[in-house]
Amino acid sequence: MISANTIAGLFGCGLLGLAAVATAIRLRRLPLRARYAVMLVAALAVFVPIGGLSIAACVRSVTGDLSAATLVLAGAACFTQLTGRTLIGHRDKQALCWLLALAAAFLYPFALGWTRFDPYALGYGSIAFVTALLLVTLGAWSARWYVIVFIVVAAALAYLAGAYESRNLWDYVIDPLVSIYAVAWLLAGVRRRPSNELSEA
Amino acid sequence: MPPQTAGASAATPRYETQLLPNSTAQSVHSATAAEISGGRLVAFWYGGSREGAPDVAIYTSVYSLKEGTWSPERAAMTRELAQRHLQRYIRKLGNPVVGRDSKGRLCLYFVSVSVGGWAGSAVNLMVSEDEGETWSPPRRLVASPFFNIGTLVKGVPLVFSDGAAGLPAYHELLGKFGELLRLDPEGHVIGKMRLSWGQSSLQPVIVPRSDKEAVGFMRYSGDPPNRIVMVRTGDGGAHWSPPVRTELPNPNSAIGSVLLSGGPLLLAFNNAAENREDLSLALSADFANTWRIAHRFEGGSGSPQAPVPEYSYPWIMQDRAGDVHVLYTWGRSRIKHVRFNRAWLAGRP
Repeated sequence: MISANTIAGLFGCGLLGLAAVATAIRLRRLPLRARYAVMLVAALAVFVPIGGLSIAACVRSVTGDLSAATLVLAGAACFTQLTGRTLIGHRDKQALCWLLALAAAFLYPFALGWTRFDPYALGYGSIAFVTALLLVTLGAWSARWYVIVFIVVAAALAYLAGAYESRNLWDYVIDPLVSIYAVAWLLAGVRRRPSNELSEA
Repeated sequence: MPPQTAGASAATPRYETQLLPNSTAQSVHSATAAEISGGRLVAFWYGGSREGAPDVAIYTSVYSLKEGTWSPERAAMTRELAQRHLQRYIRKLGNPVVGRDSKGRLCLYFVSVSVGGWAGSAVNLMVSEDEGETWSPPRRLVASPFFNIGTLVKGVPLVFSDGAAGLPAYHELLGKFGELLRLDPEGHVIGKMRLSWGQSSLQPVIVPRSDKEAVGFMRYSGDPPNRIVMVRTGDGGAHWSPPVRTELPNPNSAIGSVLLSGGPLLLAFNNAAENREDLSLALSADFANTWRIAHRFEGGSGSPQAPVPEYSYPWIMQDRAGDVHVLYTWGRSRIKHVRFNRAWLAGRP
């Protein structure tokens, strides 16, 4: 019998798979009915096991369980491709990507053994970490970066519910995949900027 | 957890060796064992056509302390079974480690890899409520934020004084360093303490002397001189001393250690800086401050040579009657069991 943790993990990886498919084939170019038909077929392909494992399970084998940040971005990508409407504005996304990039720069080098300090250990209920996350959330709220607020709240609720196998809050907030995406998105923005400034001038 | 009090062994010196059954696997490695009810030991190791092959399984065998015999081996976990329960693609299986949690349940931790080499490892846990007759489905431990890969186990599990399970683990992704994981009764990682950092120490073995005091030994994989790495704690594992290199050599090879009831501290290790041809027993009467070599299990002129002269990955433990058991990889083709008692040890020079 598959555990609730496994179902949650497979759902997240499946959602990422759907977002990847929808974005890769530029779903929103298709007629509306065709979009839903494609997503239905893609969902069957992603979640139905073939030979014991589904595509979602294969993705999970590599990525592990995905954070709220990844799921929100993947969900937003699916929404955009299905409806043609943008769910996360540029300003919100920019703030989120900066925050993810900074968090990743703080977390991963140290967690991989660079020094004695291990910020990942703070994710096991450290008051300092929870306080820092609360301050970030309040700061994001006051700056009207609501997607950050949503992600942190979703991550905290999933953590409290024990949705994943992990009992570390970091794993619910951020993962390497979304960190790489955030850095790539910011770098792409830097490359775009000179031409934008030229056109505005 | 303080070592359990053991009764006195027979006064007659006893030293026995035998190879564990192996009817199928061409290559075996990384044995682990625990005492179970009925005067028995249960051992686990991994074996297959070669290390890292898809046919590698975790094998088990039971030893009768009274009769001195091992049962025929059987597979306790296969790659296919792990894949089905974990709902992840599993490419290969690796080190098993067996111990008990605070409820007295038998816990079998084992390494699996989905992608890549050992740097892509993760640790899984199965629990048995009936002394290893049946096991729960395996569950994945999450010990790293980076795709949860790079974590392996080799050292003896412990129980903290607050009841949490302690699992010595190490990381092999980019860095090589040791950690001590804290697990709740359901087997979730709920905390961790770093034993070392950087790129040169792995496979920690923790030996507690009391609720507060413990010493840890680690395999060394850095630049020469190649020496066993040691850490200490005096506050129940909340803080650990910086790792130091001991006087004992280490050819980038695993170590086994146990504190006998009433002392001394024993260490099974490869007593050479460059190869695994000498497997020896060191003894410390002052809890790892000074050592003397008490015995050479392998590598002496009298001992029969394995086709591949490699003797490694020792697992050392003491049973309730006081006898000491050492299991290790013998020439990569068999697991060897050495059993001796306190009387034999007392007679060593």
